[in-house]
Amino acid sequence: MIKITNLEKFYRTEEVETVALNKLNLEINTGEFVAIMGPSGCGKSTLLNILGLLDDPDGGSYLFNGTEVAHFNERKRADLRKHNIGFVFQSFNLIDELTVFENVELPLIYTGVSTAERKTRVEEVLTKMQIMHRRNHYPQQLSGGQQQRVAIARAVVNKPKLILADEPTGNLDSSNGNEVMELLTDLNEQGTTIIMVTHSEHDARYSHRIVRLLDGHTVMENIMM
Amino acid sequence: MFKNYLKIAWRNLLNSKGFSFINIAGLAIGMTAAMLIGIWIQHELSFDRFHKQIKDLYIVYNKSIFDGELHCWPSTPPALGPVLKQEYPDIKYSARITYVDKHLFDYNGKKLEAEGFDAEENFLKMFTFPLIAGNMATALSSPYKIVITEDFAKKMFGTTENVVGKIIKFDNQYNLTISGVLQKLPSNTRFQTDYITPWLFYRVQYNGDDQNWGNNSYRTYVQLNSGANLKKVNAKIINTTIKHSNGNEDNQIFLHPFGDYYLYNTFKNGVPSGGRADVVKLFTFIAGFILLIACINFMNLSTARSEKRAKEVGIRKSIGALKLSLVGQFLIESVIVSFIAGVIALILTRITLPYFNELVSLDLSLPLLKPSFILAWLVFVLATGLLAGCYPALYLSSFKPVQVLKGTFVSVNAVVTPRKLLVITQFTFAVVMIVSTIVIRKQIQYAQDRDSGYNKNNLIYTYFNGEIHKNQNLIKQDLINSGVAEAVSITSGSFVSSSANSWGLNWVGKPEGAKIVFDQMATQGDFAKVLNVKVVKGRDIDPQLYPTDSTACLLNESAAKIINAKNPIGQIIDKDFIKWHVVGVIKDFIWGSPYDPIQPMLVMGPAQKWSNVVNIRLKANQPLSAAMPKIEAIFKKYNPAFPFTPLFVDKDYEVKFSEQQRTAKLAGTFALLTIIISCLGLFGLAAYMAASRTKEIGVRKVLGASVLNITALLSKDFLKLVIAAIIIASPIAWYAMQNWLQKYTYRIEIEWWIFAISGIGAIMIALVTVCFQSVKAAIANPVKSLRSE
Repeated sequence: MIKITNLEKFYRTEEVETVALNKLNLEINTGEFVAIMGPSGCGKSTLLNILGLLDDPDGGSYLFNGTEVAHFNERKRADLRKHNIGFVFQSFNLIDELTVFENVELPLIYTGVSTAERKTRVEEVLTKMQIMHRRNHYPQQLSGGQQQRVAIARAVVNKPKLILADEPTGNLDSSNGNEVMELLTDLNEQGTTIIMVTHSEHDARYSHRIVRLLDGHTVMENIMM
Repeated sequence: MFKNYLKIAWRNLLNSKGFSFINIAGLAIGMTAAMLIGIWIQHELSFDRFHKQIKDLYIVYNKSIFDGELHCWPSTPPALGPVLKQEYPDIKYSARITYVDKHLFDYNGKKLEAEGFDAEENFLKMFTFPLIAGNMATALSSPYKIVITEDFAKKMFGTTENVVGKIIKFDNQYNLTISGVLQKLPSNTRFQTDYITPWLFYRVQYNGDDQNWGNNSYRTYVQLNSGANLKKVNAKIINTTIKHSNGNEDNQIFLHPFGDYYLYNTFKNGVPSGGRADVVKLFTFIAGFILLIACINFMNLSTARSEKRAKEVGIRKSIGALKLSLVGQFLIESVIVSFIAGVIALILTRITLPYFNELVSLDLSLPLLKPSFILAWLVFVLATGLLAGCYPALYLSSFKPVQVLKGTFVSVNAVVTPRKLLVITQFTFAVVMIVSTIVIRKQIQYAQDRDSGYNKNNLIYTYFNGEIHKNQNLIKQDLINSGVAEAVSITSGSFVSSSANSWGLNWVGKPEGAKIVFDQMATQGDFAKVLNVKVVKGRDIDPQLYPTDSTACLLNESAAKIINAKNPIGQIIDKDFIKWHVVGVIKDFIWGSPYDPIQPMLVMGPAQKWSNVVNIRLKANQPLSAAMPKIEAIFKKYNPAFPFTPLFVDKDYEVKFSEQQRTAKLAGTFALLTIIISCLGLFGLAAYMAASRTKEIGVRKVLGASVLNITALLSKDFLKLVIAAIIIASPIAWYAMQNWLQKYTYRIEIEWWIFAISGIGAIMIALVTVCFQSVKAAIANPVKSLRSE
C-alpha cells in the first residue's frame, strides 16, 4: 500500500538545519498494523504527517497504492486524504462547537454524502464505538476516553483504507487506553491498515510490526508474533 | 455543508458573547453611519435627475472676464429666453423663471403667506412636475392663473379636491384663478415652492418689462431637441446677448446640463471645477472609512483569536477540506455577523434619522419597503461581510494542520503585524477627525469674532409688502414719534445678506475697460445712522437736511480706495444714467460672507428708487416686549391686510455661520463615532491580549511585579500604536484642513497645539480603554492563573 524510498525532510531556521527524516525507506502492506516508535525528535510525527499528506517531503519518493504522491498539489492531497485516510490524534482534536454526531458527520460532508446516508453511517459507527447515547453532547461534556472514541469514529466513518494514529492513548488512562487499542485492533482485523506513532511499548504490542526510528532513519524492525 | 457552517458560526457567536458583542456593535454603529450618509448621498445624487427629459435640459450661464478672471454665473437677462428659442432650431423649449419671493394669499378671509416664482408656460412641459388636477397645457397660459402645490392646497382649503377654479387674492391686489394642483414636490428638487404663477402675471406686475438685456436677475432653462450636439449649440449661441444688446452688454452665454447643475456648479476660469459633488465625495470617503474602521475591529478580533479557530482549521484540512472551502466558511461567518449588524443598523438608522435630518437640514426617509432599497441593503450587508471577513478568512484558512494539530501553534507577534497596522489605521482616522473638528470650530469662532463693522443689536427689519411702499414716509415718521425707534432707514436690501452688485460704475480716473464689481444698495436716507456704522469721512445721506442728497451716495472704505481720489468727498460716480456725488465714506462692514474680504460698496440716495426693506434702529433702553407691539400697531395701521413679520439682524447674522456649524457638527459626530468604534475594538483586543498573557502576568507577579508594573506592561504596546497613529495623522490632518481653509479668505492659521490636544485626547481615550483590561488582569490572583496552567 505504501512504499517510501529515500524519504528526506529538513527543518530549517535562520541558523541551523535539522534533519528530521534521513533517506528513510519503508514499505507497508495493505491490512498491516504498524507501530512507529523512537525517542522524541526522531522523526516519528514528521513521518506520519508526510504519510497523511499533511506535510511535504524534501526528497525521495512516496508511493501510495502505486501512485507517486510526494509532490501532489493541495487539491489532490485533500482528495486523496478524504477518500483514503483517517486521522486519530493524541489530543483528540474534536471541534468544540460541534456535537458528537456533527463531529463524526464532518468527513462525510466533505465527501458529498447525502444527508440521509450520513445519518445512517454516523449512527452505525457511533453504535459500533458504543457512544451513540452521547450523540448530542459536545466534546467538553465527554471523558477523554469517550472523546477519543468519537475521534476514532470520525476517522473511520468514511471507511478509509488507512488510519494514521498519533499517540492515540497519550492523553488517556490505561483502561481507556486499552479500549482505544482494542478498537484499533478490531478495525485492523476488518481490513483497515493502521500506522500508529507511540511511545508506549504496551500499545505497540497490539501491532504486527514495530518500526523504530532514530535520527530520521530506521534502526530496527520487530515483527510481532 | 452550508448548514454546518451556519451551525459553527452561530455557536461561535454564542460561545464568545463578549467578542460577538464588540464585533456586532462596532459593525452596527459603522453600518448605521454609512447608511445614514448613504441615504443622504442617494438624495444628493438623485437631485433633480428625476425629470423625464433630463438628458435634454440645460440651464443658461453667463460668462465674462472680471479682474482678468473668467467668471460664470447662471442668472441671465429676461430677454434671452424667447430669443434663444426663436433663433436656434436646436432649442425645443425655453422657460424663464424669476427668483422665489414671498407673497400674501387670501381666500374668503383666510390669509396665508407663501413662497413661489413666476415661470413661462413651457416650464411644466420641460420639467416633470405632474398635476393632480388641472390642465398642464393651459395652466400657465394667461396672466391671472396660479398653480399651487398639494401642500399649499391642504393648508389653504384643507383639501386638494375641487380646488381648481377657485379664486384667491394675491397680495390683496390681484384675483388669481387656481388652474392646477402640483403633486407633492420631492425634496430632491431645487424648485421648492408653494405655487407657480405665469410669466405673463410677472409682466402685469412689472408693466411688461421683460425685454431687458442688462438686468441679469432671471434663470433661463432650455430643452434641446433629442440628439442635438451641445458643443455645436454652445458655439452658435455664445454671442446672443452681445448681438442683441448692440454691444452694450459683453456677457457671453453657454448651456450647462441641468442634471449637473446641482452637483457641478462651480467654475474656475470658465471650466467646471466641482461644487457640491466635492462634499458628496468627501462624505462618501468618510462613510467608507467609518465602515472600514468597523470592519477592522472584526478583522483584528477574528485574527487575534486565531488560536481558537486554528484547531478547527487543522481538523477540517486533515479530513479533506480545501483552503478555498475554508475561506468560504469564514466568509459566510462574517456575512452572518454583518447581517445581524445590518439588521441592528437598520433599527438604529430608523431611530437616529430624525437627528441626522436636523443635522443636514433635510427630510430624508428610510424607504424600508422599496425593493431597490432592500436590494441595496442586501448588497451593502454582503459587501460589508466580505470586506470584514476577507483578511481573517485568508489568514485563518492558511494555517498548516501539521502545526495546529500538534498544539505547537503560536500566533505571530512580529514587530509590524497587520493587526497593529489596522489599529494604527483606525486611530489615524480618529485623530484626523478630531483635528478637523477642532479646526472647523476654531474657524467658525474666528469668523464670529470678526468685527462686523456695525451694531447688530437692537436692529430689526421687515420687507415691503402691500401698502408699505405707499406709506413708507408715514410709517417712518410714526415709528420715530412713538419713541421706540431711534432712526429708520428704507433700503433696497437687508443689511445681513448681500443681494446686489454691479460693474456698471464709472468715475474719473477709472482704468479704461476695467470691469470692477461693486456691491450696491440704495437708501432713502439715514443709512449710517440706522446701521450704526462709523462715518470715516463726510456725512450720512440726509435728504431732509440736504435736498440735493437725492443723488448723494456713500462709499465704503474699500470703494474709496478703488476710486483712488485724494478726497473722495464730492467725487462723481456715474451709474444708471445718474451722476451720484459722494457725501461720505463709511467704515467697511460685513454684508456678504464673514469669511470673505469686504467688497467695495456703493450706497445710492433716494433717486435710486429701489425700496424693499424698512430697517429700524430701536432705542437701546427699552424692553423688546414693550417695543414690538407698538411697532406692529404702526404697520397694521398703514398696511392692515398684511401680517407684520419682523426680522432681527443679530439672529440673521448668525445664519451666515449655519453651513459651517453644520459641517462642524457632522465632523464632530463622525469623530465621536470613529472613536467609539475604534475603542470598542481596542477594548476587545486588550481583553484578548490580557487573557492570553495570564500565565506571564502570574509569573511576573510572583516574581514581585506590582499592579502598576503589569498595567504599564500591558498598556504600553497599545499606546505605541496610538502614538504612531498621531504621528501619521498629524500631517494628513494638517494637509486636509489647510486645503479646507483655502476656500476662506479670512481664515485661521492651524497651530501646533491643535495637534497636541488631539493627540493627548486620543492617548487618554485609548489609555482608559486599555487600562480597564490591564488593571483587571493585573489585580487577578496569580495563584489562580498559574494553577490553571
